Amino acid sequence: MPKRAFVSPPVAWLSALVWILAAVCSAPAQAGWFGSEPDIVVTVSSAYLDVYSGPGRGYPIHHALEYGEPITLLKSRAGWIKVATGRGFEGWIKREDMQYTLGPDGQVPEFTDEYRTDAVVNHFELGAALGRFGGADSVTLSLGYRFTRHLTLEASYEQQAGQYSDSELLSAGLLHQPFPEWRVSPFLRMGAGVINVNPSATLVDTEDREDSVLQASLGVYVYLSRRFFLRAEYINHHLLTTRKTNEEVSEWRVGFNAFF
Amino acid sequence: MASWLQRVFLIVPVCTALLWPVGSALAQADDPLEPMVAADIKRRTIKEDMLDSENFELGGYVGALGIEDFGSNTVLGLSLAYHINEDFFVEAIYGVSEARQTSYELLSGAVELLTDDQRELSYYSLAVGYKVLPGQVFISRKLAFNTHFYVTAGVGNTEFAANRYATYTLGAGYKIYLSDFFAVDIGMRDHLFNHQLFGASRQTNNFEGRLGLSVFF
Repeated sequence: MPKRAFVSPPVAWLSALVWILAAVCSAPAQAGWFGSEPDIVVTVSSAYLDVYSGPGRGYPIHHALEYGEPITLLKSRAGWIKVATGRGFEGWIKREDMQYTLGPDGQVPEFTDEYRTDAVVNHFELGAALGRFGGADSVTLSLGYRFTRHLTLEASYEQQAGQYSDSELLSAGLLHQPFPEWRVSPFLRMGAGVINVNPSATLVDTEDREDSVLQASLGVYVYLSRRFFLRAEYINHHLLTTRKTNEEVSEWRVGFNAFF
Repeated sequence: MASWLQRVFLIVPVCTALLWPVGSALAQADDPLEPMVAADIKRRTIKEDMLDSENFELGGYVGALGIEDFGSNTVLGLSLAYHINEDFFVEAIYGVSEARQTSYELLSGAVELLTDDQRELSYYSLAVGYKVLPGQVFISRKLAFNTHFYVTAGVGNTEFAANRYATYTLGAGYKIYLSDFFAVDIGMRDHLFNHQLFGASRQTNNFEGRLGLSVFF
């Protein structure tokens, strides 16, 4: 009885599938498909370093690193760095303690605290701010992109809740920082947008209206921590109304901006 | 049929066994290069930018929101936080819920103070948070999770009854980190705003109890 010389197609498919699955599952470990970055390894250069169980000074210290011990830096969060030892022990060390380590080149790793403008160039910036828009409370959300040391392109969405009307303002603008290297750095912003005003529903019927807005603002970025800033600004809104006279509204705003 | 099945069980392991060493050998063939690559790495200076930072926290929550005079209902929300340092964080939350009928509406039977659309409530808040009482909870002798309490204070808006109300939000909660980047949040918030739905302006406290999950990135 003659047998087929080779495997029937379904069997071949199945075995191929199993093999591919197995290969894919083991691939990251072998070739590092998902994380091609090499490990960041430093050695401890002080007598010992405390390792905490969590990213905060209140968490228990559950390990100590010895002089000359190599550690792998895994990630950072809010001023703390997660490390792993050669024996696979993991924990958190203070960011300041990086000065007691040496990189593979024999130098202390560059974990500087000074305000470095270059750290935010080519980064997106997410901001949220609260303010007073004329007599109304305002909340603003903004997204910016810092494309040079001095210039940021920005889009923002603002809501105002007033006693007699609510409004929404969508705008885009260009922001210029003449002295980006200063810790407290002033800026000038020019923008334009659209404002939509809805009078309160409890009042007698009045129509919603939509106007164009031109904005000029003066403000300041205050460096708080790495890639995190306080931003305060004064904005002059010039509403181009369809009525006979245009309207001017001043706004004070303060908020936080984080670069990512 | 039986022989077909047998072949499947025979051939799959054989193929895997035959092809496996090829894969491993390929991987091992890379090994002799490693010292060269490593030598190259040795010269680099380590900078903070090389390290992956996990300061953002994205989460979702579900809970119950008591809307003063309008009963309580399920609330669903999203949160985005940025951790500034080990003590402070800033947080944006957005939640949706729906108001029920007031007792007056229920008792009178026919009166409807709000339409269905006006009963929909949404809020957002931008808050500053402070982390307190860090520690660990032990689930078993060997397994412990990091935890901390937090308090928040924020400002935002509430959209309700076809109006927008400036809202202050106070909150507190307990966070349990199941891993470094995954946390459970048991919290409460009080959303305070004034409205004139019953004539005179009155301040309302709208308490919310919630359970959330979040990831750090």
